[in-house]
Amino acid sequence: MKHRVRAATLAAAALALAACSTTAPTASGGGGDDVTTGNGVTDSGITIGMITDLSGPFAAGAAVQVTETQAYWDQVNADGGICDRDVTVDVQDHGYDPQRAVTLYRSMAPDVVALQQVLGGPTSAAVLPLAEQDGVYVGGVGWAGSALAYENNQLPGASNAIQAANAVDYMVDELDVPEGSSIGVVYFTGDYGGDALAGAEHAAEERGLEVVAQEITSQTTDLSAQASALAQADVAGVVLAAAPTQLASLAGVLSAQGADVPIIGMNPTFNPSLLTTPAADALLANAYSMTSVSPYDNADSAGVQAANELYASAAPDGAVGWEVPLAYVQAELLKQALEGACESGDLTPEGVVAAFRDGGEVDTEGVLPDGLDYSEVGQSPTTTVFVSKVSRDAEAGLELLDQVSGPSAESFSYGG
Amino acid sequence: MSYFLEQVLNGLSYGLVLSLIAAGFAIVFTSTGVLNFAHGSIVLLGAYLVAVLHDTIGFWPAVLVGLLGAAVVGVLINMLLVRHLADPNPGTAAILMLGVDIVLLTELTRRIGNQVLTLGAPWGASVVRLGDVTLPTGRVLAAGVTVVAFAGLWYLFSRTDLGVGMRAAAADGPTASLMGIRLSRTAATGWALAGILAAVAGIFLTSFPAPGVAPTVALSAFAAIPAWVLGGFDSVPGAVVGGLLIGLTSALVTGYEAELEPFLGAGFGEVAPYVVMIVVLLVRPSGLMGSKEAVRV
Repeated sequence: MKHRVRAATLAAAALALAACSTTAPTASGGGGDDVTTGNGVTDSGITIGMITDLSGPFAAGAAVQVTETQAYWDQVNADGGICDRDVTVDVQDHGYDPQRAVTLYRSMAPDVVALQQVLGGPTSAAVLPLAEQDGVYVGGVGWAGSALAYENNQLPGASNAIQAANAVDYMVDELDVPEGSSIGVVYFTGDYGGDALAGAEHAAEERGLEVVAQEITSQTTDLSAQASALAQADVAGVVLAAAPTQLASLAGVLSAQGADVPIIGMNPTFNPSLLTTPAADALLANAYSMTSVSPYDNADSAGVQAANELYASAAPDGAVGWEVPLAYVQAELLKQALEGACESGDLTPEGVVAAFRDGGEVDTEGVLPDGLDYSEVGQSPTTTVFVSKVSRDAEAGLELLDQVSGPSAESFSYGG
Repeated sequence: MSYFLEQVLNGLSYGLVLSLIAAGFAIVFTSTGVLNFAHGSIVLLGAYLVAVLHDTIGFWPAVLVGLLGAAVVGVLINMLLVRHLADPNPGTAAILMLGVDIVLLTELTRRIGNQVLTLGAPWGASVVRLGDVTLPTGRVLAAGVTVVAFAGLWYLFSRTDLGVGMRAAAADGPTASLMGIRLSRTAATGWALAGILAAVAGIFLTSFPAPGVAPTVALSAFAAIPAWVLGGFDSVPGAVVGGLLIGLTSALVTGYEAELEPFLGAGFGEVAPYVVMIVVLLVRPSGLMGSKEAVRV
């Protein structure tokens, strides 16, 4: 009896170890190539992962991204796949719970070659260090500067600090904010807002401006007190690192108080449905968006057009917005990394990370700015961002004005 | 001076909306002994109903449906779930309410998606100017409606048989029951009233200066919890005072953040309500107006 218990314990332990261990790379002759493969890659298929939020606060936007991602890889497979293999996407739901994200990562890691996305600040912060230890590529974690420190993380465009620094430069260079004046920075507590504040403070110092900072949380949906404080400080413009609800409230109240100043929001601060709210007029008059990824309406970018077409055929009645080009370009970045790994004959998780870090050219056909450089760990891959203005004439409510790389954005350095 | 006045009026009007929510917490607690953590979702539900219905049936009929809808859901939660608890203590009921909150909030989040739904309120983004002070019309209306609502509650609790019955049931349920007061009726009334107050608060929390209905509104409702606790768990007047105190504190600390930051750090406005709550509870452990024997978990 004792023997049997011991044997069973040993068997269970062995099984657990086997489940935890990563597969040793093997040279594969699949598809007639001579490629070393590892976790998530077989002779006929490649599995990538996506740990997203399908039941929590970001479920709606995440669903758009999942739809676009599936459509993208279906297209890639129809065109012959990667390295003569079909790509399968394993989508899992963390519900915005970091503990669940870690558990999911642990269970998925042995079976995927890379994670195209781990959505959310706290969830990706929990997964990134583990994935770095395992050498697994992680994309799509947002734009917080703290994620740049991980070698395995590929940021889709400029970080939050770079966006905010550009917002300040744009105010001075294009929106007539004079030197010596004050600007407001309203930001979410945490990685996203903190990074944006750092960028805005750097730029304000460079351009001779005074910063009036207001820290808020996502629960702050009425920004009357903050708006009054900014109006009292006589700010000439506001940088906003928050969400759509906060943008509409701030724009509405500032305008009602007669403070018609430009408000420049970071990546996720605009949503087309805001144009149906009472704040619409204030938004149309004063709101801008400074984004790492091209807005939905961009006729000059072949990449954005391809992204939108894919989405329109996959979800004809789906909600449109910045998530469509974002999901497309996250998939595109991973595709290029996988192709790079295939070319160098190392289609292992480590090989994928090495491929995107090799300093080679990344072309997203205008979805991200040109000239992305992922060779330096710890710094933003670009200093260029897209500037858009809220408009009723543009699809998804944002009209692209320009791509800019301001002097303060270029002089900003993490850890410097 | 006008800046100070503006922040004070902003704070008081926001505080009155919070006190509607806090009063709902207090009424449910006194009528059934439940810490209703699903209250935030009911606030959101009321506003959501108005947002989806105002286009088809008009704003005011939609408001009526919103108020009734929130009341009915409250009554149903009590009738179908709370009354059938095998172990009717506040701890078990609180956990049950957390579950109800998750279910309601998940469904509403799914329906709302990543949209911000407009409420279609006729006052839109208009403002009222009193000298140098600018206040959103919605907030002025909210203050008026809240005062009327509390006058109505006062009348109910002190001048009607039903209200006196509710107070008797809250003070001593078994004895009230022996005196012929139907506890099921007072409980249902309590939940319905709380639902109506929640929906009214939801409408004002999601109209200008807030842009519209988004799932985060349910979380904003939690800002009323310090108001409820510091007012005393079981006191409606306490909830009103608590709401005003919290609204005023938030507005002033946020409004003078630049001056306070060197001492208190950035973002103190978010923490201030809880600091006030803790200070009040240290001095008066039963809250400002709570009865001493109120049960806490």
